[in-house]
Amino acid sequence: MSALAVQVMTGLAYGMLLFMISIGLSIIFGLMGVLNLAHGAFFVVGAYVALSVLRGVHSFWVAALLSVLVMATVGLIMERTLLARFYGDELSQVLLTFGLAFIIADVIKMIWGARLQSLPTPSAFDFSFSFGSVVFPTYRLLVIVVGILLAMLLWYLERHTRMGAIIRAGVDDREMVSALGINVTLVFAAVFAFGAGLGALGGVLGAPILGMYPDMGFDILVLSLIVVVLGGLGTWKGALVGAVLVGMIDILGQAYFPSLARVLVFLLMAFVLLIRPAGLFGRRGAVS
Amino acid sequence: MLLMLSLPLFAPSSITGLVTEIFILALFAMSLGLIMGYAGLVSLGHAAFFGAGAYTVAILSQHVSNAYVLLASATLVAAGLAAVSGALFFRSAGAYFLMLTLAFAQVLSSAASQAPSSLTGGSDGLNVTVALNLGFGEINSQTGLYYTMGGAFLIGYVLLRLFVSSPAGMITRGIMDNELRMRALGYRTLDYKLFAYTLAGALAGFAGAMYTYFNLYVTPDFLGWIFSGEALIMVIVGGAGTLLGPALGAAFFTILQNYVSFYTDYWALVMGVVFVLFVLLGRGGIVHIFRSLWGMFFRTGPGGSAEPQNADDRTIPSARKGEMS
Amino acid sequence: MENLNKAFGRLRVLNGVSLTVQRGQRHVLIGPNGAGKTTAFQCIAGLMRPDGGTILLEDKDVSTLPVHARVSLGMACTFQKTSLLDGLTVAENVQLAVTALKPYRFRVWKPLSRHGDLRQDTREILQACGLWDRRDQRVNRLSYGEQRTLEIALALASKPKVLLLDEPTSGMSPAETAQTTALLRRLPRSMALLVIEHDMDVVFSIADYITVLHHGEVLVSGPPDQIRANERVKEIYLSGGAGPRA
Repeated sequence: MSALAVQVMTGLAYGMLLFMISIGLSIIFGLMGVLNLAHGAFFVVGAYVALSVLRGVHSFWVAALLSVLVMATVGLIMERTLLARFYGDELSQVLLTFGLAFIIADVIKMIWGARLQSLPTPSAFDFSFSFGSVVFPTYRLLVIVVGILLAMLLWYLERHTRMGAIIRAGVDDREMVSALGINVTLVFAAVFAFGAGLGALGGVLGAPILGMYPDMGFDILVLSLIVVVLGGLGTWKGALVGAVLVGMIDILGQAYFPSLARVLVFLLMAFVLLIRPAGLFGRRGAVS
Repeated sequence: MLLMLSLPLFAPSSITGLVTEIFILALFAMSLGLIMGYAGLVSLGHAAFFGAGAYTVAILSQHVSNAYVLLASATLVAAGLAAVSGALFFRSAGAYFLMLTLAFAQVLSSAASQAPSSLTGGSDGLNVTVALNLGFGEINSQTGLYYTMGGAFLIGYVLLRLFVSSPAGMITRGIMDNELRMRALGYRTLDYKLFAYTLAGALAGFAGAMYTYFNLYVTPDFLGWIFSGEALIMVIVGGAGTLLGPALGAAFFTILQNYVSFYTDYWALVMGVVFVLFVLLGRGGIVHIFRSLWGMFFRTGPGGSAEPQNADDRTIPSARKGEMS
Repeated sequence: MENLNKAFGRLRVLNGVSLTVQRGQRHVLIGPNGAGKTTAFQCIAGLMRPDGGTILLEDKDVSTLPVHARVSLGMACTFQKTSLLDGLTVAENVQLAVTALKPYRFRVWKPLSRHGDLRQDTREILQACGLWDRRDQRVNRLSYGEQRTLEIALALASKPKVLLLDEPTSGMSPAETAQTTALLRRLPRSMALLVIEHDMDVVFSIADYITVLHHGEVLVSGPPDQIRANERVKEIYLSGGAGPRA
């Protein structure tokens, strides 16, 4: 029983990491119609940046913070220079980000090398605690807590701030929002940067558990896409629920049905789409 | 044309091999080009069908040796997968569809990777010993393979041509343009999309099967989304609105891949940059470049070109706002 | 002799709307903005599912049939917001419209252009609508009025028993409006028309029968003279309704 508990917690932690990266993908798509196939890069490069920072500064948290800021800026630049000109031409955006993903993977190889690397667990949390017969790494619990805090923050932002309302409205009807005179450009840029930063946070937090390698962006992207499809585009709740589901099934699957793990995730997604073609929480015209 | 026919006779074997590979990949790319340029379906999972065809030959060849049976089975398996996945995924529009196809390809790739080694060779892939015998002796020489694959390419091209100019093909093109309108005209659009998708899947599977005969080795990478993405790059770089465009893209891609990786490990970077450039410049790929050059020298009258006029402006399908969401 | 019939209950937008279109009748649906005309239209055409009520075409219940199935039964519609195959030429648009009811629409080998009867049918329609000269033009290069006319041409291609037109003259210049009105008047009497229109001149020049919709209910139904003289109708149009042109 304790083994199961550990797996569940691990799955939850993994789910939280997926949540952090998927949030950006989902909101950015829902609001701006941009399907950023290079989104996984924020996750991976974020981890690598933290790695570099750690060589100079010996605080995990500083590295994390810097990484998030750097990636948010990178995201901002990316949005302004490359993606903005293609609003309305969503296919070009997809192709563009796809090409970028390839380029970034190789750039990572050039700068940091191709072998698997990882970040050390921050010393403050580098121990396990026991709860009855369950032995559990505290760091993973931290990840879960961060995820929950993030969800709470998002809930608050959505409910009680103007920004949240704008985003919700924008997801429902983009044209209307700009017609209302809200500075859409600013909103888009901010959302994109926010999504990038969150992805980086996920990457840094996840690095001690998952490690990092140049092609990781692709693998994370695939999982995020499944999360987003499952949960529904443009909704953070969907990203949360989807991520937790996918995280759990992936981990539990790997533990108990190793040869079926990824297939299970896909089956879940297919099943959900059959009953709700727009995902669990999705709304915008996703059904043809 | 003459050059292509006589190539193996004078070219060094590395080039002959390269062109042979291009024939197969061109077929694969053209099949993706069909659904992208004529049905308006953007897929990042087309390799699933290619890989399915490849693996079918690889696995079945251990029990069956008749080439026709193997090729037919591979094509049927791929077609079946396409029909089923199409039926399931078409309910979701644009971006969802894209993501579904991607996930689909990945799942198959993982399945091949994690299946028992005895069946699929696991993540290391499977070595295949199989010789193509179409009834007049085994074809395993460079030259033989060259002509065979060239023939396969031609057959594929002809089939696609026939489809595109047939009523069903024109209808599919109309559906890509405005599905609602076509439904209002009385068409069961789902049927047409499904047919085109299945046809494309079958051709991709056929290409995959041929590839096994050529390469004698299959790996889960043949099924995954990265390979699908490479096909996508071939289609876009070559020109999405035409039949031959993707074939040119395949040639470009393969040649680039072979020569760039000679000089640097980072050929993906180069390819990525080239691809991004093509997207940024928003042109209809290599085909468009050729056409512009041709047009500079010869003025063609209205309706005078072999390809329908509307292929000129259809650089990338469905570039309309809200189309993908 | 009944041709089409609709009886509805759909709260909030349409409330118990019923109307009958006789064979060959030119039945015009009018009403101020928001009266529910387009909703009714979409339900009849099959673009929207009503919450209640039935739609009968020649005594056949088509209420649950999707839009493409209604075409083969003899119903064709045009869209208020022009919806054409933009990347194709005028001729190709009509060809596809005509092919929809041909047996060879499933064929995958013989080129479409080689089907002789197709050329003939396409030519007839294009000439009838005055679009023959523009047949090789790409749709996105046509003028707005020409596009609206093409909308009608596409609907005519299936030789429907009932032709549903949603504001066919909206956005047209006076000359184009006159042309379109003439076209509508030229249509064979074997075809019934159900038209939504705002332009009163057009309404009275083509209508055999008018139904007025207001707040989702049928206000009054009758021949043009009766409607013209109706006090309530005049009230609605003068006070808060639609002007002559949408």
